[in-house]
Amino acid sequence: MRILLGIALRNLVQSRRRTALVGVAIGGVTLLLVCLLALADGVRDNLVRAATTISAGHVSVAGFFKPNATNLNAIVTGRAALRKLVEENVDGLDYIVERHRGWGKVVGNEGTLQVGFSGVVAEDEPALFDTLSLAWESEYLAGGRDEVIGDPRELAEPGTMVLFAAQARRLGVRVGDTVTIKTETLSGQTNTADARIVAVARDLGLLSSYAVFVDRGLILDLYRYNEDTTGAFWIYLEDIDRADEVMRTLRTAIAEAGYALREHESDPFYFKVSRVQTEDWTGQQIDVTTWRDEVSFLTFIVTGFSVLTWLITTILVSVIAVGIMNAIWTAVRERTREVGTMRAVGLSRGRVLALFLLEAALLGLVSSSAGAILGLGLITLLDALSIRIPAEAAQVILLSDTLHLRITPQALASAVGVLTLLTAASAIWPSVQAAALRPVKALQHAE
Amino acid sequence: MHPIVELENVVKEYPLGRVTVRALRQVNLALDRGEFTVVAGPSGSGKTTLLNLVGGIDVPTSGEVRIDGRATSRLSDRALTALRLEKLGFIFQSFNLINVLDVVQNIEFPLLLQGELSRRERRVRVDALVERVGLQEQVRQRPGELSGGQRQRVAIARALVTRPAIVLADEPTANLDSATGTAIIELMREINHTDHTTFIFSTHDPKVMERADRVVPILDGRLEADTHSRSRAAPVEAR
Repeated sequence: MRILLGIALRNLVQSRRRTALVGVAIGGVTLLLVCLLALADGVRDNLVRAATTISAGHVSVAGFFKPNATNLNAIVTGRAALRKLVEENVDGLDYIVERHRGWGKVVGNEGTLQVGFSGVVAEDEPALFDTLSLAWESEYLAGGRDEVIGDPRELAEPGTMVLFAAQARRLGVRVGDTVTIKTETLSGQTNTADARIVAVARDLGLLSSYAVFVDRGLILDLYRYNEDTTGAFWIYLEDIDRADEVMRTLRTAIAEAGYALREHESDPFYFKVSRVQTEDWTGQQIDVTTWRDEVSFLTFIVTGFSVLTWLITTILVSVIAVGIMNAIWTAVRERTREVGTMRAVGLSRGRVLALFLLEAALLGLVSSSAGAILGLGLITLLDALSIRIPAEAAQVILLSDTLHLRITPQALASAVGVLTLLTAASAIWPSVQAAALRPVKALQHAE
Repeated sequence: MHPIVELENVVKEYPLGRVTVRALRQVNLALDRGEFTVVAGPSGSGKTTLLNLVGGIDVPTSGEVRIDGRATSRLSDRALTALRLEKLGFIFQSFNLINVLDVVQNIEFPLLLQGELSRRERRVRVDALVERVGLQEQVRQRPGELSGGQRQRVAIARALVTRPAIVLADEPTANLDSATGTAIIELMREINHTDHTTFIFSTHDPKVMERADRVVPILDGRLEADTHSRSRAAPVEAR
């Protein structure tokens, strides 16, 4: 096999012009595939970041409380006991945060917004303030400064709010301004409160359009909740990929502890609210979900990018497959005498087949590796530049206001592997034809 | 002891458009081990067809070709390939070396296909042949960097490296000048004497015929009464 490898390699070098042409095409497609994979993975990364910042932890334990058949509150009662149960039953726990939930209107200087409130306890948040990227004032205020104003850690103070850049633009507010919050209590009574804006974060796509952070006390006051309640426990794991397994464990433990547990539904919490409101039960039900459930309505974006990536790649690969097949045909035609000689000397048909397939596979491997390396460089550069996405619609789809590209070693290896295999596959037919050549015919062809 | 090569009522026909060309007509021939035989005849007489059949790179339309007692028409492609690798060596008119391999690699190629010898054993055998054909200075050169005579020496070494029972040479001097051609024939003759390898040539060069043990004339696909131009080396057991 080594000698075949040597011959294949040298033939590629000898036909360097043809090798270069086909190689550039394969490398180009690999580069494109790697960039598209990086974009898809970047969007997935944005989605995970947005979901686990705004909508859920890696696993979420939330509650619905119905004092009667028609009223519904998004709370967990007896939070201390449930938190203890959760802590005892999560393997690989990194940390837990609590989020109080509410829904209402924010009234600013120039507009209003209907949003979901996420009540945080600032001193118990180990990662939120590092995860949120703060916007320059110029990003949400005409004539604003090109610098970050405010500090989200001020959410530790009562009556404070952190919102996102698009919301600040719509409300016409800046850090330090006060907005008014309007909500409805358990009994349907309207309550209002003022909140001071302490920071404005960069948008995180669609999810950040409908969410603001407020201090926990504000939610308790607005809804008249007692101290032993919370909206949800957001559980962060050392390994996010274990979310499903942890969710199953928790569901079992919570049910065994005697809590009423809702059937698992892969929908965001707020999508379930109207459904639960019409259900005929009273008391407390616990809902356990993963971050995927909470952003299930957005996974079409990631799926769409993946489908688009492979669709474009398939079309391009189909085009270059014709080129590869043609190149190997030419090689077979040019080396018919050589094939005849090698067959006469004792090379079997299988080895002739292997020789041409090896040649194609080597071409595919080297070219796609080069394309992948170039792609990696380009991705690293573009990601480091944090290029701002100009159109808001694109920001919503890409779930970020800056271009984020990310590629894993597995994705790189799969791009190289797929292109190498496809190159070899494109060479099968001409290689089979070469192997089928009768030695006498091949030698006569030479003469 | 049976002959190393036997042809019995061999007919070979080729379709050429709507016409069938009969290249060999009822050929009968037996060659003993160690013979230095020339198949002589003009162009188109059927010399190359005869050598192709003996070399197992083609099979007869009818009749039987037996190499060391095995009928080639009854062998599968795999078995025929193995027979060529084990029993036969080929020297072509146009040298037919592998252009991307150097002298040593070209000679070593059949040994690598056999896969029987260690690297060291292969090296020893190839070095001995390189020395024998006088190419010590050209070992790392590729065919494109060699003269015609040097290329044919590489082809001879490649044909001999597996120590085959039979070496087939199709007009080996046709593309060489007279002096080089004579030197090549002398080299093969010497190998025939020392190693008792069976050589079968095709040629229409009278000078080559003069050096043969036996000359088998062929005309229009038929063998004519053969002649012995000189006494041949004593036949010995070969692989």
